[in-house]
Amino acid sequence: MLRFVRMLGAAALDGIENLGRLGVYFWFMLRGLIRPPGKFWPVVKQIEFVGTKSFFVIGFTAISTGMVLGLQGHYTLSKFGSESVLGAAVALSLIRELGPVLTGLMVTGRAGSAMCAEIGIMRIDEQIDALECMAIDPYAYLVTPKLIASLIAFPLLTAYCDVVGIFGGYLVGVGLFGLNPGVYMNSVQSSVLWEDVYMGIVKSLCFSVLMIWICTYKGYYTGLDEGNFGPEQVSRATTKAVVLSSIAILLCDYMVTSIMT
Amino acid sequence: MRHSNVIDIRGLNSYYGNRHVLFDIHFAIPANRITVIMGVSGCGKTTLLRHLIGLKPSPPGRLLVDGEDMGGFNEARMNQYRSRIGVLFQSGALFNSMSVADNVSVPLRVHSKLSRETIRIIATIKLHQVGLSEYCDYMPSQLSGGMQKRAGLARAMAMDPEILFVDEPSSGLDPITAAGLDNLILELRDTLGMTIIVVTHELESALHIADQIVVLDKGRLLAAGSPENIQSSQDERVVQFLQRQADQKHEDTEAYIKALVGRKLRQL
Repeated sequence: MLRFVRMLGAAALDGIENLGRLGVYFWFMLRGLIRPPGKFWPVVKQIEFVGTKSFFVIGFTAISTGMVLGLQGHYTLSKFGSESVLGAAVALSLIRELGPVLTGLMVTGRAGSAMCAEIGIMRIDEQIDALECMAIDPYAYLVTPKLIASLIAFPLLTAYCDVVGIFGGYLVGVGLFGLNPGVYMNSVQSSVLWEDVYMGIVKSLCFSVLMIWICTYKGYYTGLDEGNFGPEQVSRATTKAVVLSSIAILLCDYMVTSIMT
Repeated sequence: MRHSNVIDIRGLNSYYGNRHVLFDIHFAIPANRITVIMGVSGCGKTTLLRHLIGLKPSPPGRLLVDGEDMGGFNEARMNQYRSRIGVLFQSGALFNSMSVADNVSVPLRVHSKLSRETIRIIATIKLHQVGLSEYCDYMPSQLSGGMQKRAGLARAMAMDPEILFVDEPSSGLDPITAAGLDNLILELRDTLGMTIIVVTHELESALHIADQIVVLDKGRLLAAGSPENIQSSQDERVVQFLQRQADQKHEDTEAYIKALVGRKLRQL
């Protein structure tokens, strides 16, 4: 019994320590915004990595989701004779909810895991120590450009996801079920308000910060807790980073939706 | 006035969690000299090096740089100190995502306002000093272990540091490459007047390059002095180290059996 209580206490203390470290890490990441080195070219490079290279996977996810929404939406709406609002159903689902969430999850899986592994390998190979010894702030050099790039790329990717998804719904609604194209597009145009787009942008910005924060944090502290710096620690850190980021994105999604609705 | 000892270590103790790894270390690192820190694997050499380069915090009053307490350094002062030092890590620690020349250019790009062309020229000069000027555009993964170490040394020298720390320069290298690195270290001391601290367990290399040798054993300072003093030492462990004699096995049979079956007994 005493052993169980001791274990519980140790786990709680570990949790509190990790939370504190996560907070300090966030502050260092933000502080990197005003610290050298210059960020322009690293940010451009990261936008290419996070944004351009995610185009295919986001496009594929968006079109398949849009098409499924078209199928399911048509099935449901036809029961009430409201097929004409299929465009609105697809567009609102994507812009308010699925666009930012799917983009967040897909980019976490593709880019977040790679960022965590890259920084983790730099940690176990003493490259981060080398940066510190060169009087270079590792947060400003490694993490902050990724944060800026994600803040730029996420809303753009989300918008791209929304547009491709709406097109997917259009393919099914118009191409498969024979809806009038004008009716579909008019339904989209008349139902989507600025508030819906705004919510999508806010979500995508929150998700980008969460992804960078958690994924780079897990990479940065690879092996430090265990005092063991090996490849296994990198793989473990990467798995944890993707799982935690995904959970954080889903929780944040609910919170932002409840605040903004 | 310049302090004759660049670094003074006064009773340094070090811990990893509850594990005591360095015990009351005392010695000084003289300016413009090569100090070699030696000892068997796991004796605390690299931990001591991490204290000296500020990667492991030092308790107040135990480590003085030019007479100033390193334990009291804030971040800005630590960066100021680090801009005076160069470090070659055991693995080379080159950034895998950039070419060898770009690796050497990193500190120059961050800390100087030199043009790209000038930085490129300086990087090439530094790589030439270590015999790698033909490999500027190679990626680290395309270089051999010895070449990676030399490239790491070129990067450590990029900002013309006053103090150069070198961790295990010869480990894993063939004798010819290792001798080349030793000569380069001697050249840096003689031509640029650098203070160089080398961590190694290569006896031959240490005796060849050192002005001062510090011998550690199980986290304790065993001996410190000139190579001649160390070679004439009567200390049993120093003699054993110099004569490359293996440790006698003193197995604690009871502890050994306990280690083998202890877990099982607890489960029973």
